[in-house]
Amino acid sequence: MKQKHSYRWLSIVSILAFIAIWWLCCDVLKMTKSSTLPGPVTIAATFIKKLTSTAPDGATLPQHIFSSLRIAMGGWAMGVLIGTPLGILMAWYKKIDLFVRPVFDLIRPVPGLAWIPLMILLFGIGITSKIVTVFLSAFVPCVLNSYTGVRQTKDVHLWVGQTFGASNWQMLMNIAVPTSLPLVMTGVRVALGASWTCIVAAEMLASTRGLGYMIQQARGIYRPDIIICGMIAIGTIGALFSWLLTLVEKQVVKGVRRG
Amino acid sequence: MNKRFQDAKRYEKTICAAIAIIVFLCLWQLVVAFTKVGIVMAGPITVLSKFVVSLVKPIGTHTIEVHVLWSLTRVMVGFLLGSLVGIVLGIVMGWYPAMEALFRPLYELVRPIPPIAWIPLSIVWFGLGEPSKYFLIFLAAFSNITMNAYAGVRSVDPTLMGAARMLGANDRQVFSTIVLPSCVPHIFAGLQIAIGSAWATVVAAEMVRSSEGVGWVIIKGQDSNSTVQIMVGIVAVGIVGFTLAVAMRAIEAKLCSWSVRGK
Repeated sequence: MKQKHSYRWLSIVSILAFIAIWWLCCDVLKMTKSSTLPGPVTIAATFIKKLTSTAPDGATLPQHIFSSLRIAMGGWAMGVLIGTPLGILMAWYKKIDLFVRPVFDLIRPVPGLAWIPLMILLFGIGITSKIVTVFLSAFVPCVLNSYTGVRQTKDVHLWVGQTFGASNWQMLMNIAVPTSLPLVMTGVRVALGASWTCIVAAEMLASTRGLGYMIQQARGIYRPDIIICGMIAIGTIGALFSWLLTLVEKQVVKGVRRG
Repeated sequence: MNKRFQDAKRYEKTICAAIAIIVFLCLWQLVVAFTKVGIVMAGPITVLSKFVVSLVKPIGTHTIEVHVLWSLTRVMVGFLLGSLVGIVLGIVMGWYPAMEALFRPLYELVRPIPPIAWIPLSIVWFGLGEPSKYFLIFLAAFSNITMNAYAGVRSVDPTLMGAARMLGANDRQVFSTIVLPSCVPHIFAGLQIAIGSAWATVVAAEMVRSSEGVGWVIIKGQDSNSTVQIMVGIVAVGIVGFTLAVAMRAIEAKLCSWSVRGK
């Protein structure tokens, strides 16, 4: 590939031009109504104000973020803690695979957020229904990836284990699980993205707090500046998550050649 | 293949699957029939019979298959637009470093925002009708496909490009005979993810605001406290989601039978 650094200035110009045009059209020339697209300055001002102000939806931005994070993390952790071992067991023990897989395949094609209304009816509007929904959407990628990961174990490695007299359990713990780790981590990362999306959707449908609730309320009163603040928060936190997990992955997963 | 990971025989698989599903449905039925859950939750028999009935008897103003068609139309319009723009943008970004420098930062700004978070803004911009849904599904499809098309161009074997250059191929020939074919499997991987994400997004968008479609069926079920109707919607969502994924894989197997992924 051609050298990249010579184009760095182009990237900077691109971002700056984007913000400048947006600012010029919306903040300076007022070409759009502030009820459809506010300019970057307005949004920055709203963002700073929203950090401490509870108007108009009853909570400050950090409170909303914290509320969403708590539920997303709870559901995600449950999904990982239950889904990953289940996937590993399904791949290792044929009997579990034969009986659990068909039921899992029934649930799998339904996107996590389609469960929201059912969970609300079953568990009420509170935190339980959302955690269960987030759990469902985190659970599926964890099972799938750890299953595929264990299935990638090389025969030769297992033969070596057998030759040295490893028990079935030892082979699982010392050969198959380490082999599956890279894919398990992929599953964990995909699950985190899915949980974060799911919690936003759940909060838009029924909630009294959280980022999804905030942007949905802001739509009702035509405050796109708050909507965009919320979207920025959602995007930033999502990106932060996947960055953090990449760091963890580098620490945990050894012996994989990275490009 | 190791003996351990050998697949079970076909009849064994079918029998076990049948037992597992029957046990699951029986448990569900028993829980609904004999515990307090039954007060809110409908059993599998009720749900399945209601599903069959709703094939001919409308829920709201349409039968369930018309609702599915509504949702599918929305998905197809957004998905086609998104894949078109995504493939072109991804390939252009992968091939021209200047274009990458220009568009990548803007794309990276949009990428981490889940399409569902765009729902309120798209309603403010495009109103309550169809365009806002097309826009959302466009976003859902676009971001996955761009990433994959870009990665596809970037992962072309440099040896092949070098060989072609040495034999006197110009830039355009290298692009059309080597780069383009070899990124097709990557693009298909992107399309596969995108169709699933688009389907989930349309359900969410319809749950937030619509007057027909499977998402509407589900959310109206919530409004009228009818778990039967919600479950009918979920069954429809599951069947269509499954069919879309299988169809996508079949198309890939047909078109990319030469690649490893297609096999």
